[in-house]
Amino acid sequence: MTYFILKRLIQSVFVMIAVAFLAFSLFRFVGDPITQMTGVETSIEDQERLREELGLNDPFVVQFARFIGDMLQGDFGYSYRTRQPVGEMISSRIPATLELGIVALFISLLVGIPTGVFTALRPRGFATQTILMTTLVGVSIPTFVIGIILIFLFGVQLGWLPTFGRGGTVQIGGWESSLFTIDGWRALLLPAITLGVYQLTLTMRLVRAEMMEVLRSDYIRFGMARGVPMRSLYFKHALANTLVPVITIIGLQFGGVIAFSIVTESVFQWPGMGLLFLESIRFVDIPVMGVYLVVIAFFFVLVNLIVDLLYVAIDPRLRVKDTS
Amino acid sequence: MKMRILSNSALVSGAILLGVASASAESFKWASNTDPQTMDPHAVNSAPVLSFLNNIYEGLVRRNQGMSIEGSLAESWEPLTGEDGWRFNLRPGVTFQNGAAFTAEDVMFSYERASNEAADVRSWFAPVSEVRVVDDYTIDFLTKAPNPLFPDSIANFMILDKGWAEANGAELPARDAENFATMNVNGTGAFTLASRDPGVKTVLIPNAGWWGEVEHNITEATFTPIGNAATGLAALLSGEIDFIQPIPLQDVAQVESRDGFKVLEGEETRVIMFGFGHEHDELLYSSDVSGSNPFQDVRVRQAAGHAIDIASIDRVLFRGKIEGASQLVPAGISGYSEANSDRPAYDPEKAKSLLAEAGYPDGFSFGLKCPNDRYINDEALCRAAASMFAAVGMNAELSTGPVRDYWPQLREDSFDMYLLGWSPGTFDMEHPIRFLMSTPNSEKKLGSWNFGGYSNARVDELLPGIQREVDPAARQAMVDEVVAITQAEVAYIPLYTQPLIWAAKDNVAMTQRADNFFMLRWVTVN
Repeated sequence: MTYFILKRLIQSVFVMIAVAFLAFSLFRFVGDPITQMTGVETSIEDQERLREELGLNDPFVVQFARFIGDMLQGDFGYSYRTRQPVGEMISSRIPATLELGIVALFISLLVGIPTGVFTALRPRGFATQTILMTTLVGVSIPTFVIGIILIFLFGVQLGWLPTFGRGGTVQIGGWESSLFTIDGWRALLLPAITLGVYQLTLTMRLVRAEMMEVLRSDYIRFGMARGVPMRSLYFKHALANTLVPVITIIGLQFGGVIAFSIVTESVFQWPGMGLLFLESIRFVDIPVMGVYLVVIAFFFVLVNLIVDLLYVAIDPRLRVKDTS
Repeated sequence: MKMRILSNSALVSGAILLGVASASAESFKWASNTDPQTMDPHAVNSAPVLSFLNNIYEGLVRRNQGMSIEGSLAESWEPLTGEDGWRFNLRPGVTFQNGAAFTAEDVMFSYERASNEAADVRSWFAPVSEVRVVDDYTIDFLTKAPNPLFPDSIANFMILDKGWAEANGAELPARDAENFATMNVNGTGAFTLASRDPGVKTVLIPNAGWWGEVEHNITEATFTPIGNAATGLAALLSGEIDFIQPIPLQDVAQVESRDGFKVLEGEETRVIMFGFGHEHDELLYSSDVSGSNPFQDVRVRQAAGHAIDIASIDRVLFRGKIEGASQLVPAGISGYSEANSDRPAYDPEKAKSLLAEAGYPDGFSFGLKCPNDRYINDEALCRAAASMFAAVGMNAELSTGPVRDYWPQLREDSFDMYLLGWSPGTFDMEHPIRFLMSTPNSEKKLGSWNFGGYSNARVDELLPGIQREVDPAARQAMVDEVVAITQAEVAYIPLYTQPLIWAAKDNVAMTQRADNFFMLRWVTVN
């Protein structure tokens, strides 16, 4: 088991280097950092000198090697835009993004699984059709439109919830959390719903399809014939078997939730990594963009690893194989 | 019993009213689309930074509500006698926010810091040959030639405390890594920094020891950058912020239709214009002309000018909020040429006949480059212009892109015609003459934004005179000549002055300055 985890972590290093390489080869098409760093009155020579100082005239391979070399030594470089250490900038934004992603995931599971089961048990009911229709609309509208609609409804018209930012946060060690204040939760609600809507729909439909499949299987029919209580049949036997593929898909999607929280963060001015990345693109802040993409690649690898481990925990058959 | 309930609820509502009233007088919240990237006044020469830091730091001189220069840390200034330059008589009794006294040594230190290679603002000091401290409250700036504009050109040159900077290792602006002055301040201004979380939130509080007369009633001001325009508008309309700059044109009606909010409109000093590839020997993006550049013929450039219908652009794209421009600065800026205030009339027939005269009776195609995130409605403007050009036979192949990619393309000369906006940093006509109309010359630092390489010997000859002439009438005569030449040659097609649109709650009074700077010391919350 330890060997398995270790192997995956080593693989992740190669994934990150590959991502960094791809990212770096794209950066020169993003634009010129120098014109974004200097004012209109700055002379061409001063611009050239800065370009030379930052090593932007070096060939691509040299720039890339320098980036990887510094990274391996734990030096993430300094932002072109703010001159702050990139490592600090990104790590200070990680809590906001992770909390948003995790709360969005919980919302999607807490709502998605029960409604999925419900719609599977009453496939032709009026409520089921309504739910299916609504979620279809929810998944068809782009995230930023959902966000703007929620803001204007709950923030501007009703005035119940804040329209931007994180609200009250509490500092716990190096982790700035909004989960411990009412203010923080009020600010978190709309962005988490916005980010979770797609996941929610996916979870619901997946649970519904799997559940209907399982309910048709022989062992459920046999259980019914044997007189096992329906409640136990549905929620113990059927649901457990439904969840295995659901967890895989949702887990894999979670990496995407973190990576694509960019849109939600921008709509809600949520100070997470995604927002930082967007600002960095605007200013061609190459060090920040590079490190962000590598960190996101690491998240993907990590999430996949956790999904694999969960899989083992849920499905007893895999455990048997592992120990044999 | 009933009485008691009533009086209780009256008490409660009274308390709520009081709470609301005192909360609004205490704290002021505002937003803008860009975070000032540093708190160092010499590190970056960009409007978001200079505008923000003008609340914390001060210069020798400053601009008042009408943009004219007035004394700040210098009480008065006069030209030196016997040599070229200016003497500044400093204000005694001023202290920095940490309590240190302000003297000429701090000005000297700030000059050395701001003119260093590591500073992005050093171009302001290109005319300076030497700076001499005469005594604690007198300092001389010597210039290489007579320079009547010098005091105007250093309104954003902010003074740092020498002792503080040296004690904290911030002798120079941060170039690679951050330093103490990136995140901390010690100015003489009306406000000081209470806390800063870059990109998230910056809080300012009044400087109790400020020398000036306090006009504002703010006890705490919180700035939040909000990049997404719709989010910013929602934040204002939900009451979470008191003021936002700027808002998109299409949201003006939305704000005006609601009770308790107002829109502040003005003219920015930025003129939007089209430029040509004057020095290109052939068109780069034409499908029917090769080996020559029709825009080198003045008649073709004139035709392009007559093809543009500013009134329609104003009505359709700008909801009647723009003013047509005849030259590269708007009326009211010093040096504006009253004698040349007519812009080319919209006359498609004349444009067609000019094209025919120039040998293009059937028109021609060319490439038009535009940014899509730099100026208000820039992409829409270029689409409209392209169809207006097409109506007279000039088929513009429009390509647009984000500004981070746009300037490099212009520097590489990949355009036939391009869009540019220019705001004169010194608020004088000399600025666009120097940057946009002079023959590019990197040694003399001239024409660095003259992408098309427009060149006219007489304009080049007149510029030094304009920079040196002390007599206003003689100077204006030279400026008038430059404007007349560049209009006759259609060096650029000036289009209009960009509007300035801010939005605020009704109970907030403030001043909208034409340089888009927002000064907290002119804000009162009622």
